[in-house]
Amino acid sequence: MSSLPAPDVSAVPADTMRGRSDLRRLLILAIAALLLITIGPAVLPTYLINNLIRAFLYASVALTVDVLWGYTGILTFGQSAFFGIGAYAAGLIFTHAGFSPANAALALAAGIAVSALVAVLVGWLAFYHGASPLYASVVTLVLPIVVAQILYSGGNFTGSSSGLSGFDSFDVSLEAWFRIAGTYLVLLTAVAWLFVRSDAGRVLVAIRENEPRCEYLGLNVSRIKILLLTACAVIAAIAGYAFASVQMVVAPEYAGFVFGTELVIWVALGGRGTLIGPVVGTLLIDVSTAYLSGNLPFVWKLIVGLAFVVVIVALPQGLAPLVMRMFRGGPKLPAGETLSLQPASEEPLAVLAAAGRHAIAVAGVRKHFGSLQVLEGIDFQADHGELLSLVGPNGAGKTTLMRCIGDGAERSAGTIQVNDADIDRKPPYECVALGVGRKFQNANTFETLTVAESLRIARTRLRKPSLWARAASLELPDAALRVIQATGLDQKAAVQVRHLPHGQKQALELAMVLALEPSVLLLDEPTAGLTKAERTLIGQILVELTAQHRLCILLVEHDLDFVREISSRVIVLHQGRIVLDGTVAEVVESELVRTIYAGGPGMGAAQR
Amino acid sequence: MAQVFDVITTAAILYAVAAGLLIVFGVMKIINFAHGGFLTVGGYSALLVTQLGLNPWWSPAFAFAIGFLCGMIIERLVVRPLYARPLDAILATWGLGIILGQLITLAFGREVQFVRSPVSGAIDLLGASYSQYRLILVIAAVAVALALGLLLNGTRLGLQTRAVIMNESLARGLGINSGLVRLLTFSLGSALASLAGALITPLSSVDPNMGVPWLVNAFMLVLVSGVSQLSLGLACLVLGGAQVLVSTYANPVLGGLTIVVLAAVLLRLRPQGFARE
Repeated sequence: MSSLPAPDVSAVPADTMRGRSDLRRLLILAIAALLLITIGPAVLPTYLINNLIRAFLYASVALTVDVLWGYTGILTFGQSAFFGIGAYAAGLIFTHAGFSPANAALALAAGIAVSALVAVLVGWLAFYHGASPLYASVVTLVLPIVVAQILYSGGNFTGSSSGLSGFDSFDVSLEAWFRIAGTYLVLLTAVAWLFVRSDAGRVLVAIRENEPRCEYLGLNVSRIKILLLTACAVIAAIAGYAFASVQMVVAPEYAGFVFGTELVIWVALGGRGTLIGPVVGTLLIDVSTAYLSGNLPFVWKLIVGLAFVVVIVALPQGLAPLVMRMFRGGPKLPAGETLSLQPASEEPLAVLAAAGRHAIAVAGVRKHFGSLQVLEGIDFQADHGELLSLVGPNGAGKTTLMRCIGDGAERSAGTIQVNDADIDRKPPYECVALGVGRKFQNANTFETLTVAESLRIARTRLRKPSLWARAASLELPDAALRVIQATGLDQKAAVQVRHLPHGQKQALELAMVLALEPSVLLLDEPTAGLTKAERTLIGQILVELTAQHRLCILLVEHDLDFVREISSRVIVLHQGRIVLDGTVAEVVESELVRTIYAGGPGMGAAQR
Repeated sequence: MAQVFDVITTAAILYAVAAGLLIVFGVMKIINFAHGGFLTVGGYSALLVTQLGLNPWWSPAFAFAIGFLCGMIIERLVVRPLYARPLDAILATWGLGIILGQLITLAFGREVQFVRSPVSGAIDLLGASYSQYRLILVIAAVAVALALGLLLNGTRLGLQTRAVIMNESLARGLGINSGLVRLLTFSLGSALASLAGALITPLSSVDPNMGVPWLVNAFMLVLVSGVSQLSLGLACLVLGGAQVLVSTYANPVLGGLTIVVLAAVLLRLRPQGFARE
């Protein structure tokens, strides 16, 4: 085992050139946009200036819809509500308390505070552990309906259906507002661009691609979503505040559900998940609406509706990628991320492994689906340094048992301790914090992320990602590095996972789980789809992890030869009960096991 | 007594409006946001009957036919490519709703218009004087429920539909033409929406956006009901009843929010809603 080659840690040279040229392009674009915004008011007609101010503010909100929906996968109809809250904060205070610099500051603060509070509340409701994406959308649909109804019913205080108008506001010219709103939009777009490309921004895409995998990589997805929604709510509220200050009018429609869906339409037409698409889409559509709705009032809305349906059905990525492709003359290659892999210090692992008396202690665990009993009173303990294999025919409850150890909410009865800590009803990400790492039965990965990005997501729990930059190197524990190098994944760091063959996906998932530095490793058929040579190597790495790093590994495998070679102990499950718990030799010689495996002559031959 | 009638008739109206949405959601697992648009189509079908001077009793049948036809066309053109993308289907059907609304605006104008009611006035029932038409709506809703029950449980098509609801790939493997089942289901759902639109218009009026408020309530009711018509009936009775009570004893604005808020909270606490599992 010690004959394995030492990992070559500088496998891929760091290349930051691409990142730098990207950054330069962003800077040039942003400066050009700011220049245009500065000279704009001097050359544009007043009517257009007025419309563009509104469009800039709408586009800022559309940007938040894109971050939530395009990047994170949360289809939201509710951003209009936050826009409305910001607008009404200004409208109400300026109407009832009069305008003064102090009141203006107070209104802004109130708009931000109320929208943040509402966002946290909505997030708590919509993003609970296990919530479906549909439910989250439903809550964002209910929000603007409720806010608008409250505004309708506010009588003279909120101005009811006609809203508030004619209040005093900032003594600022239209031209200056144009520059303020334009600068807000440009800066926001630039910040959003940096954010979605940063290491933290990749986490959003990971959530969109595979939320359960994120939870099992120790990420508190609910918390991330709530934080993101809160930030987006504040951005929308500031835009709403500015809108009310410029237009000196607020109405319930600006907080309503129809405006919320319009934002989604603009984002979809521009191109979700592109940032620039939604911004351009909003500007074009909103300004054209101002001009065309006079001449072709209903036809224009009909055209927008038709375009929307056509884009959703035929061009789900919107128009931006289409335009970009025309300019570049071909599809863009996946962003080439190359980075150097470095071994991480593995002290936390040793500390965790030494702390517990038992790595896993399972007592009286039962699981039933309705009236179907899958596990009926499972009791066993496993120590650090053990490689414990679970075997048994299909339907014996092996995977179910794994699931119960990885997610506290799964089991119907009984207790499970990991490193002597009770897992209670803890969600997967808290079980990960206790030391559990789980590999699923089928390769469970992030299809549109690259290999390097996936591994970085797995390190997010231990290394806080940057909110604006991409790191050029990635620290991985020795075991993860070894798996990557043994399966040739280090040569494919910049390849998107969906282009990998099945065996490499399996290996990547294993490496991701090892990158968590777990002390208890749950492996559900980790070598399915791998070649014989790769399998032998993975087997060696697993044995080494238990022998040298004192990991406790719980392994489900159908390849009984593999089990016999590497296990230190075997548990045989049959119909939801443990029928045998002993050494490999004891299991191999057991008459009972032969009977269970349909009268086969022995374990070696019972391979399926 | 009048309040009991209010609860029952409100539940009946909600059921009639939501039944089509539930059928589509049950079979296709997509939320048809054009449902509001179809409701509007039904309302204007009734208006057309009035304008042509026909007997208003023709409105429901006429609306049903128009809705069925629109549904068939739309399923072929728009909904079919979206079965694998349920969130996109919500958006595309919402866009369809906009298109329907604009087409209606172009054809009939944007103003509020009125439809002739087949019956008017109140009758005395169980010691209370109550709107005759609202009571007729209860009968209509029960008829819709019975017809759907008969269709699903008593016909070959219904059997195939139930098979598709339970396990579509298996049903296809057994030679059921699931594409046809989907086409008929979507058309039936659209037809029911249109029928409901025609049924409710004599109570209020028609305008090109009349479907939107109904859509949201129907959508929430369907989400708490799962796929069963029975739990939809229960949900309509409970949430519709709550709406009537809140409107009467608190205020009508809160009443208008009752269904959406209660349904959202209910789903948070009990994700399966009124369904058994």
